[in-house]
Amino acid sequence: MTTPLLIRFVAEARELLQLASSGLLALEKNPGDEAVVNNVFRSVHTLKGSSGLFEFVALTKLVHAGEDVLSAVRAGQLSLTSELVDLLLDALDRIGAWIDDIEHKGRLSDGADGVSRDMTAALRGWLPALPDASGPAQEAPRRAAAVEILDVDWLARIDEAARLEAFRACAQGHALLAIEYVPVEDCFFSGEDPVNLMRQIPALHGLLLEGTEPWPDLDTLDPYRCALRLRAISAAPQTSVEELFRYVIEQVAITPVAAHQLAVLAGEADDNPVYEDFVEEARDLSAKGDWSGLKNRTQALLNLTGSTLFAASALRWLDALLDVPAPDPSQVAVLIAAVIDGEAPPLPAPASTVVSASGRQERTAVEAGATVKSQSFPSSANPASHLSPIGREILEAQRFILESLLKPEMFPGQIGSIRRTVANVISGVMEKADCAAWSAACDASEAAGTGTAALAELNRILGSGAEVGAEVGATEIAQADASATVHDQRQAPARILKVDQAKIDTLMNLIGEMVVSKNTLPFLARRAENVHGSREMAREIKDIYAVIDRLSQEMQAAIMAVRMLPVSEVLDRFPRLVRDVARKLGKRVELVIEGEDTAADKNIVEVLSDPLLHIVRNSLDHGIETPEQREAAGKNPDSILIIRAFQEGDQVVIEVQDDGCGIDPAKIRAAAVAKGLMDAERAARLSDQEAINLVFAAGFSTAASVSDLSGRGVGMDVVVTTVEKAGGSVALNSVKGVGTTVRISLPLSMAVTRVMMVEAGGGMLFGIPMEHIAETVRIPRSRVKKIKQSESFVLRDTIVPLLRLDALLGVPQPLWFGDADQEEAVLVVKINGALTGLVVDHFREGMDIILKPFDGILSGIGGYAGTALLGDGRVLLVLNLKELV
Amino acid sequence: MSDAPNSIQSKRVLVIDDGITMRLFYRTILNAADFEVEEATNGVEGFEKVVGNSYDLLIVDINMPKMDGYTMLRSIRREPGIGDVPAVTISTEAAESDSRKAFESGANFYLVKPVPPDTLTEVARLMTGMTK
Repeated sequence: MTTPLLIRFVAEARELLQLASSGLLALEKNPGDEAVVNNVFRSVHTLKGSSGLFEFVALTKLVHAGEDVLSAVRAGQLSLTSELVDLLLDALDRIGAWIDDIEHKGRLSDGADGVSRDMTAALRGWLPALPDASGPAQEAPRRAAAVEILDVDWLARIDEAARLEAFRACAQGHALLAIEYVPVEDCFFSGEDPVNLMRQIPALHGLLLEGTEPWPDLDTLDPYRCALRLRAISAAPQTSVEELFRYVIEQVAITPVAAHQLAVLAGEADDNPVYEDFVEEARDLSAKGDWSGLKNRTQALLNLTGSTLFAASALRWLDALLDVPAPDPSQVAVLIAAVIDGEAPPLPAPASTVVSASGRQERTAVEAGATVKSQSFPSSANPASHLSPIGREILEAQRFILESLLKPEMFPGQIGSIRRTVANVISGVMEKADCAAWSAACDASEAAGTGTAALAELNRILGSGAEVGAEVGATEIAQADASATVHDQRQAPARILKVDQAKIDTLMNLIGEMVVSKNTLPFLARRAENVHGSREMAREIKDIYAVIDRLSQEMQAAIMAVRMLPVSEVLDRFPRLVRDVARKLGKRVELVIEGEDTAADKNIVEVLSDPLLHIVRNSLDHGIETPEQREAAGKNPDSILIIRAFQEGDQVVIEVQDDGCGIDPAKIRAAAVAKGLMDAERAARLSDQEAINLVFAAGFSTAASVSDLSGRGVGMDVVVTTVEKAGGSVALNSVKGVGTTVRISLPLSMAVTRVMMVEAGGGMLFGIPMEHIAETVRIPRSRVKKIKQSESFVLRDTIVPLLRLDALLGVPQPLWFGDADQEEAVLVVKINGALTGLVVDHFREGMDIILKPFDGILSGIGGYAGTALLGDGRVLLVLNLKELV
Repeated sequence: MSDAPNSIQSKRVLVIDDGITMRLFYRTILNAADFEVEEATNGVEGFEKVVGNSYDLLIVDINMPKMDGYTMLRSIRREPGIGDVPAVTISTEAAESDSRKAFESGANFYLVKPVPPDTLTEVARLMTGMTK
């Protein structure tokens, strides 16, 4: 990654892609939803704008094509079919992959151009053919440029060769357009590239770039501010030019020009007798109508004349004019005279052609409305600062109503009640002038029959909405736009601070350290009492400890709350995934997601992602039947897949439930035998649930065996491993023919681990995660049975193997003097579903710790989950029993 | 049109609610804050009272027999001459769609039950322009 801008772009692009694809999915279900269409279009449009800031041409082109398609959808020219949605989603995926490339490599992958070209072509294939200029059908949805007669003096400043070219194009029957584009000053920041845009004008003849003002000195020049006036001549239809400029159409003026307006002659004057001969002959020829003869003479003289001379200019135009079989005689006459006069009046309009300049229209609505904008009501700045919160809320409510909830049939009543409400609320706290201004604004609104004036004044009263007010004060179009913006702002969460994840993690570590340091206070209190003999002091320390303890707990809870994320973070991808996989497999699946705002610690939510993916894939692959199978089984051909999240105690639970074919225990048994996991007799003894649980066994299921089974199991052991590593558990419930439910339970937070401390190796402390501990028992030595080198004991009719922690860890073992009554402290732990007894020296208390995994070379040591700091400064080693036993 | 608030005379509030407890609650709170309180038990009665009187504020329950609060408010807003009386709806529903519906029906403010007495008093004072 290189620049901050690029980093920002990558983040924004991902967000926009996500928005666009979820919007598309919603649209597929409900194609008519205009708001969603607009949202999707806006996302893609914004993405195109931002991508234009970088040199990712392939990406921008593809986004552009997608945008065009969406634009057509929005205009109702194209309907969204599943195939089109597929194509668009593919394109979004491709763009997403490129964004990844950009993030990692700073550039697009090789071959992006080709991919882009293919996909762009595929997308554009959906577009309706560009309508002709004369086509009446496309009028409605398009926004037309401000067509007006411009001052076209600037045409003369365009290179003469370009003008001649345009002139000739016109002679061949193409109408000419003069295009003037004055980009807004900050256009570079919105991803516009004005010059490039101009160069894309179809049938471009001549381009003129000038500053809107004289160029300042280089050292005062602001290169980020666009001060350009761009002009061009084009022989393309007006609609295609407008199409090109559709995002900046209000900054563009397009005017039809007649060919003769191009013929502005220029050059050095000279006096050559040969001109007189020519003029005489030319007049003669033109009187006779011998145009080809005249053309020959013109070209001949042109070859003899220095090209910078005025006469040459006249001859070139004459030559161009004579391209048509029947030129206008009056124009010919003017040009002939110009050869000898060394100056020329403007070419007259030909008698036969009508300048198609009838399109003088009203200026655009935006400009027309601008007068309203300036008509704001005078008063002091930000006058609402004295309002009480409730008063402000009441005023906000009135603003909300004025913005979008006025109903024509009750307009007088509504505006009247708003008038009274606002007047009453502000009466106690604001200046008389403000009250008068409000009254005046209401009069204006009542007279106009719209809330506009009142809204503008209310915005001023509320102080904050200055720009909003100005926009709304403009035209109807602007009003609609502005209220859409306001609405968007309303939807967005009010005030969200984006914080780097690492900073939160740092806070979490710090609070962890603090919790630990605070635990030194009881030690200190004990020392005060025992060593220094001050009971008083000890009591005071304990008091302070109580306060700090409470504060640090609250602080820990607050920081944990910051780290809480809704599980929707990982669930959001599933609608798309389920849809794609189901379509690929030819299955019909309706996905229902429940409880997506259930929150859990960031780490937990992240852990959930992969296991869920496995489970849902499995369900789609093996659980849910094809529509035909379902119908044959008497089920609804549409299957339902439910992903349900909820909180249960201090656990967050995610269930994936399908109504598919379920797991057949008989098949699992057969497979287990076939794979040599157990013999047939033992398999037959398994209960159905035990058999089903076999799918979790590592090595039980490979893709091959599962496909025979047509059950599930791909990667189920991976799911279990991942979830258990995070301190959770997986349960599976399946009824053959009815469906399967997989349930993942995870702790709400991984930050704090509850451990039990044990002593081994003569006073060394070890921590054992509480989730592994089944129970603690003390058994006399005499009950320990020795089978060869292994020890075991009987715990309520179950034989439990016995392991000695000190032996496992290689720490000193206590001596045993053969006393059969001596009791062993046995920690019964459950590892991989089996009970094991762990002999320790002593049990100690349980405690909450912040576990720090080993790093550096220590991380290679097996058997330990990490360390934690104890209150007295000692380090507690926390065991990873799975690796140890 | 009474733009200039008159703070000397006590303000008249009409409470439209079918629940007798709620009416008693509003009456007690608002009386204590020197409002003059009248009551209606459903939308039809509320509408008739509004037409025949001039109130400074309506406190409107949504769910009522005969005519609900939305319909009543819409009818009042359409009525020339009396349509401009400020109105607060009070509902158990806190969803944005509900407040939106209330505003669309002509309410000026929206409170969610249970309404703390202080809030009710302050809203009534502000919306009627009554100074303390």
